[in-house]
Amino acid sequence: MNLEDELRSALRRREPSPDFTDRVLARVSAAPAPHAARPWVRWVAALAASVLLAAGAVEYRHYQGERAKSQVLLAVRIAGGTLHKAQRKVQMLHTAHRSVS
Amino acid sequence: MPQRAPSAAGALDFAGLVRQHQAMVFSVAWHFLRDHALAEELAQEVFLSLHQHLATLESPEHVQFWLRKVTANRALDVVRRQQRRPMVSLEVVPEPVAATSAGDPMLGETLRKLVATLPEKARMVVILRYQEDLDPTEIAEVLSIPVGTVKSQLQRALALLRAKMSRSHGEKAI
Repeated sequence: MNLEDELRSALRRREPSPDFTDRVLARVSAAPAPHAARPWVRWVAALAASVLLAAGAVEYRHYQGERAKSQVLLAVRIAGGTLHKAQRKVQMLHTAHRSVS
Repeated sequence: MPQRAPSAAGALDFAGLVRQHQAMVFSVAWHFLRDHALAEELAQEVFLSLHQHLATLESPEHVQFWLRKVTANRALDVVRRQQRRPMVSLEVVPEPVAATSAGDPMLGETLRKLVATLPEKARMVVILRYQEDLDPTEIAEVLSIPVGTVKSQLQRALALLRAKMSRSHGEKAI
């Protein structure tokens, strides 16, 4: 006796109940159709993803625009302050020069 | 409105696939679980899943590989989840009382019982090796484990089975 041969014999395939196939087919018929049979689901998912992407892109561009605007305003404010200081210095120098002469 | 069964031709093809592979799927489950009703339930679930995934399978060989893989993994999941069959050492399994000869149905049943006591992965390796006649490389692909692990589990399982059987039948027998 060879153990491997005995294992092959002991573990040989066996058939399930005679009505097994019919029961599988009945359950398949009762189950929802597989995803492949519903291509519209993929189209809807793809459309939804596209809309989300587009909305995200628009929102991002809007955010970038707002950020650029605030940066420009800040730059203008800084430049304005610096200009004001310079103007005051010039006025002070001018006043001093007048009083000397 | 949910769509129902595929076309008549599709159903016919699927029915053919079920008939072609049902013995393989059921037997892997039955030899692993040792429970006829549970094995049939698992086999049905596997074929339902096949129906869902049929469009993604490219060839008859792919279908067979997929069925083996899904059946093996689901059977392993069933045992792990339910802990239906707590691991029992081969040392505590009662040895067969009557002397048996090659081809004796008692020997077959004894062997099946001994196989059922193996650790889960080793049990599945033995089933795929001797029921399905897969080589270690193919078993490794089905179970997604290294080939070396398959070989060592197979050797260890055979050694354990041989030792247990030898006690019953004598050294010369196996």
